[in-house]
Amino acid sequence: MMRAERIRRLPMALSALVALTLAIVPLPEVIDAFRPDFLVLVVFFWSIESPRAGGLTLAFVSGLALDIIKGAVLGQHALALTLMAAWATHLRLRLRVFSVLSQSLTIFALLTGYQFILFWIDGATGNPVTSFSRWLAPVIGALIWPVMVGTLSRLRER
Amino acid sequence: MLAFRSSDTSARSTGLLLRCILFALLALGLMIVDKRYQDLGKIRRALSIVAYPAQVAVASPFEGWAWLRESLTTREALRADKSRLEEQLRVAQFRLQRFEALEAESRRLRALRDNTAGVSARFLVGNVMDVDLDAFRERVLVDKGAHDGVYVGQAVLDAGGVFGQVARVGEMTSEVILISDAAHAIPVQDNRNGLRTIAVGTGDVSHIKLPYISTAADIVKGDLLVTSGLGGGFPAGYPVGTVVEIKRDPAQSLADVEVSPAAALDRAQELLFVWPAGGATPAATLTPATAKPATTPPPRAAAPAKPADAAKTAEAAKTGEAAKK
Repeated sequence: MMRAERIRRLPMALSALVALTLAIVPLPEVIDAFRPDFLVLVVFFWSIESPRAGGLTLAFVSGLALDIIKGAVLGQHALALTLMAAWATHLRLRLRVFSVLSQSLTIFALLTGYQFILFWIDGATGNPVTSFSRWLAPVIGALIWPVMVGTLSRLRER
Repeated sequence: MLAFRSSDTSARSTGLLLRCILFALLALGLMIVDKRYQDLGKIRRALSIVAYPAQVAVASPFEGWAWLRESLTTREALRADKSRLEEQLRVAQFRLQRFEALEAESRRLRALRDNTAGVSARFLVGNVMDVDLDAFRERVLVDKGAHDGVYVGQAVLDAGGVFGQVARVGEMTSEVILISDAAHAIPVQDNRNGLRTIAVGTGDVSHIKLPYISTAADIVKGDLLVTSGLGGGFPAGYPVGTVVEIKRDPAQSLADVEVSPAAALDRAQELLFVWPAGGATPAATLTPATAKPATTPPPRAAAPAKPADAAKTAEAAKTGEAAKK
């Protein structure tokens, strides 16, 4: 059991790296606002799938990476991601037996919570983003969640 | 979908709660330290080195494609380019002759006034990296950092005019906040009559606005706005934009003025980092709105405008006008 989980860390790190790259690949201005939070989805997946392999640590480290790359207050994304990943871990048993639709709805709730924490910290640090388009990311994220699970599950099987 | 796996005991979920609280506290602590103290700047700089390879990896395919396209251009295209550039150079040199004479004259006049603030001396060219930072903020990543002497608050120009200023410095990279960012303000002056005000970003690269212009102020469509040099963040005399639209509502005390930026905010690839002349160490300020005036204000200004204060700026604009009459 322990060994099996240790092996599973490689696809975890790999998928997180790919997601991080996807987060900064330049996109045309028009569709930039529609970019889903790939890294957040990946973290949620591993939190649900194998919480023992260190889903929370992955969440915290990924959050820090996002802070550095996006130039946010150090700890902003880390806090939001840690809290939401913990919630996802807490819900994992129910999530695993959910249908695709209910899973996506739950993920939508988690992503909205994530955005809300970011929004709140932005406001608290005197740097608010008033644009409404920030709330699009959770919708897009929930929509691509099934695709994400399909891809990552295949990665886990290998 | 997801396979059902082993069930967990409640002991595990308390462990989860503990770790969650631990990480959350750590993150909160980081935020407070980052916000309160500048000590984290060094740590951030060190961490930015870790992020650098990823940023280069993302940017390099785009750079490679640009290089490939450049090396595959035809001879005719190159010749056309060359003649066009020669033409531009001729015009520029012609203008430069006049500029040098004007600069000498300006220096003489400034010497008379005992004012040492002059045209900036040192430049450094940086390239915009093809990396998206944040979809909701107008910022770009540039491939010059603390290693090259770039500092926070430094003015950044492109070929057309003022582009923005350095918001954060990494070891090899720096983050430049555009003048169109909603959190950015820059002290400007109407080139036609010296009317001073503040230009504020809108969050849209195509225009910035002048929110503190009174409806009675003397400003017309087509006016060129240049940096006033007040606040000390930006060197004086660089073009910021031209006025494209003025809405005067008699019921309001302030007019609605839209400005089209002089710099190619959404297209610029090469940027100029500017060091102020005289080598004085400038105050490291993020927004010029919070900076104290470092240069002596022109004699015309009865009261130096405090940029962040809308009422005072409007007042100063009026005094400027009155003095003109």
